[in-house]
Amino acid sequence: MIESVLLVDDESLFHLVFEDACSLLDIALSLHSIKSADEAERLFKEYINGRGKKPECVFVDLNIMGSSIDGIELIRKINHVYGNGCVIGIISSSSDKVEIERAKKVGAQFWMVKSDEIEPRLSDFKRDYDGYKSRTAAFKVYS
Amino acid sequence: MKLGDQARSELLNAAETLNVYLEGNILKIIDTEDDNEFKNYIDKAIERDKETRRKRLEITKSIQSQNVELLQAEQKNIELMSELREALQKAEDAKNNAERDLDVIQKKSQFELIGIIVKTSLSIVVGVGIITTILYIVALITKQDTALLGNTWSSMFGILLTNCFSIIGTIMGVKYATENQPSSPKS
Repeated sequence: MIESVLLVDDESLFHLVFEDACSLLDIALSLHSIKSADEAERLFKEYINGRGKKPECVFVDLNIMGSSIDGIELIRKINHVYGNGCVIGIISSSSDKVEIERAKKVGAQFWMVKSDEIEPRLSDFKRDYDGYKSRTAAFKVYS
Repeated sequence: MKLGDQARSELLNAAETLNVYLEGNILKIIDTEDDNEFKNYIDKAIERDKETRRKRLEITKSIQSQNVELLQAEQKNIELMSELREALQKAEDAKNNAERDLDVIQKKSQFELIGIIVKTSLSIVVGVGIITTILYIVALITKQDTALLGNTWSSMFGILLTNCFSIIGTIMGVKYATENQPSSPKS
């Protein structure tokens, strides 16, 4: 089971869906949901300054309304500015190939398509998680 | 995480008397060791928690799906409004064009009428002038008495010139008034 998961998504209802799905599938022990990429940046700045513990896995929405940067830019910053150290990927209703390539280039490890039936994808993700953690699994799109 | 005896018995008591159980991820880290009674309690609490989450997940998904439908309906409304605005603009443009065309046709008719009046008037003026002049010349050549005819020719020429200027003045006035007339207010 993943110790801690951070979800960055502007949609409050999806926070509930994700939290319940993760709990039902025994994916995460603790889940922290936030609504903006700027807040995520602030958290990661605190982590690199030694305040708080970095989440083990981060799910980032592609288009986060009300944020100064999009999900892919946030992943780039986490991977290249804030010291990496966590499994990170995109969770989005989009499956645009150009965006998927962009995400891959900045170091995203997975792309999960958000839809009504998120549980089967999360279940597959849970199965592949160890590979992501050990950095042996290749980039994968859960659609 | 291992709970003390007092906490354990209070939890079991709350479940038995109040039907209240622990909820959430804390259930996943409680160590029951070989305590079967407490293990049953935790299993039941996990089962109840999952059931609650399953129900909540269904409701949340349903709300989410309704939200999507509402957003789609809103988008459709926006598109319809945009189409309506476009159609209204087109109708307004067509109306303005029709009004402009009507105005042009009216002006054209007016100018055509004025043209006919001018041509007719000038023809009469020039015709009368020519006839009188010819008569006067014939009278001069044939050495007839030209006193009366000369006076008549002079008076008539004066009258004709005055009328001619009067016609031209009227035409110019009409043209000026037509050109500067403000367009009627649009409803």
